[in-house]
Amino acid sequence: MRKPRFSRFHFNLSIVVASAAWLFAAAAPAVAQRAPWERMEAAAKLLDVAAPKTDAIRLDLPAVTQDGSAVPLTVTIDHPMTADHYIESLHLFASGNPSPEVAEFSFSPLAGEARLSTRIRLDGTQNVIALARTNRGEWLAGAREVRVTVSGCLTQAGAFDGDDFMRTRVRAPNRLRRGEAAEIRTLINHPMETGLRKDADGQAVPERILTEFRARVAGQPVIHAKFHRAVAANPYLLFHVAPGQAGTLDLEWTEDTGKTATATAEIPAA
Amino acid sequence: MSNTLWVLWGGFAIGLAFGAVGQRLEFCVAGGLREWWREGDPRRAAAVILAMATALAGTQALEAAGYIDTGQSIYLQPGFSWLLMPLGGLLFGYGMILARGCGARALVLLPDGNLRSLVVLLCLGISAYAMLTGVLAPLRLPVAEATTVSPGLPRPGLPDLLESFGLGAAPSRAGPTLLVAAALGWLALAKLRLWRKPVQAVGAAAVGALVPLGWLVTGYFGDDDFEPARVESLTFVAPIGDAIQYLMLSTGISAGFGVTVVGGVLLGSLAASLASRDFELRSFEKPNDLLRSGGGGLLMGTGGALALGCSIGQGLTGFSTLSLPSLLALAAIWLGALTALRGPLRLRD
Repeated sequence: MRKPRFSRFHFNLSIVVASAAWLFAAAAPAVAQRAPWERMEAAAKLLDVAAPKTDAIRLDLPAVTQDGSAVPLTVTIDHPMTADHYIESLHLFASGNPSPEVAEFSFSPLAGEARLSTRIRLDGTQNVIALARTNRGEWLAGAREVRVTVSGCLTQAGAFDGDDFMRTRVRAPNRLRRGEAAEIRTLINHPMETGLRKDADGQAVPERILTEFRARVAGQPVIHAKFHRAVAANPYLLFHVAPGQAGTLDLEWTEDTGKTATATAEIPAA
Repeated sequence: MSNTLWVLWGGFAIGLAFGAVGQRLEFCVAGGLREWWREGDPRRAAAVILAMATALAGTQALEAAGYIDTGQSIYLQPGFSWLLMPLGGLLFGYGMILARGCGARALVLLPDGNLRSLVVLLCLGISAYAMLTGVLAPLRLPVAEATTVSPGLPRPGLPDLLESFGLGAAPSRAGPTLLVAAALGWLALAKLRLWRKPVQAVGAAAVGALVPLGWLVTGYFGDDDFEPARVESLTFVAPIGDAIQYLMLSTGISAGFGVTVVGGVLLGSLAASLASRDFELRSFEKPNDLLRSGGGGLLMGTGGALALGCSIGQGLTGFSTLSLPSLLALAAIWLGALTALRGPLRLRD
């Protein structure tokens, strides 16, 4: 058998293949690196700078979840919350939902920390995107992919006429160390009817959701949230109140029908 | 300690107890039924029946006292599939005889040195997830949707059924509980003569008592307005799959009650096996045995996923809620086992 020779043809071929591979490898990240918020119209419209800061927002979500109807989400923004430089607003999007907006939050420096937890609805595997803006107009961005698998669990839907409807609960710490922000947990019973669900007779159930949430401490705003239908039923929100803000915390939820519910809690002095 | 930690450690402790008692007692639904229906020796089956009685009595006592609400568990959801529930039970029952032990038994036997269990567990866990959320889920979902019925009760339980006939709330819960628990207790202790083996009887009652303990951990200690735990108790099909998934994805998902139960069973059985010097490596003798273990695991995973539970999950835990779908699944599991032991489809030993 003739021994295969490494001819000039083979040499040229390997040069061509190698350069093509190199070009591809160099070009692929440029294509893939188009950030999730650039690929989504709703987020891109909001973002009025070319390059948001991408290392300050951390999204804590399960990598895989079986229940897309209430996916726990914690957003932590590594940014000071001082009177002259703070996170002013936070926008949450879910790229694969029928409507991408999830919720918007406005903070005041009284929030102490730009960190909150809630539960959201995700219709299938997709990216969750967070965009935040400081009071000086800087933008921060972050995204995480969540794999949502089908669930075998059948959960009972909530009702609008039950005794529990719009029942509120709030938990504030009993005591605080000096310099510690108060962690506030809030919950309200509400089915957050999306308008996309059909009842047993095949009729579309009309949309009926909570649209707003406000928290004030001693009359001063701390956080103001706007909810969309991707916020999970029985909206849960964990947020913070800055150290040294002892006093009464007033909470108010507003439904799209105009109906409101309120709750109060006492924040102890450090 | 936060409620989520209570649930995790509670599950681990319950798993330890189940593993240790199960190893010493040789608690086995499949083995018990095989010895009873094929060899005429009902002692191990009597232990299973006594465990059912204590699980039922304990759970219903906690429910009546208001500590737990089993209505939030998967067993008492308003709708269930009239087709998949019994079909899954039959597959599971046949599979557990094929594999010579159910999933819970395989978990207990593995740390005892039984390497056949490894094949059973892997096949069971992976096929359960294939059916729940994997490649077979697109087949399951439309069938489940098309065959789901709701009996028109707020919860499809025996007490709710009796209440709909006009019986008061207290007697419709206490009545069937006392009647069924007493009948099962009499059958196990007197008729099948378990009273002659007091150690076996106490151990079996203890296994049954782990079910209400599990309800207490998730439904009472796990209850929190802001981060409620799922109300559940001992079950093994999905948790074995969850445990395999947790091994692979633990940085991205959190463990639950079922995963810590699985870990506890393995460690509890290992401790009991080492302490009693039972540990001995055992493996397949013929290639056919591997097929039996793998096929049995496959049937149990698939069937358990369809029936929402295994010989323990539906047989003890679902049964303890007196849920009608659970009773149907339990009957189907035992019928599947009977089919594998007697009749034209029977398996050789």
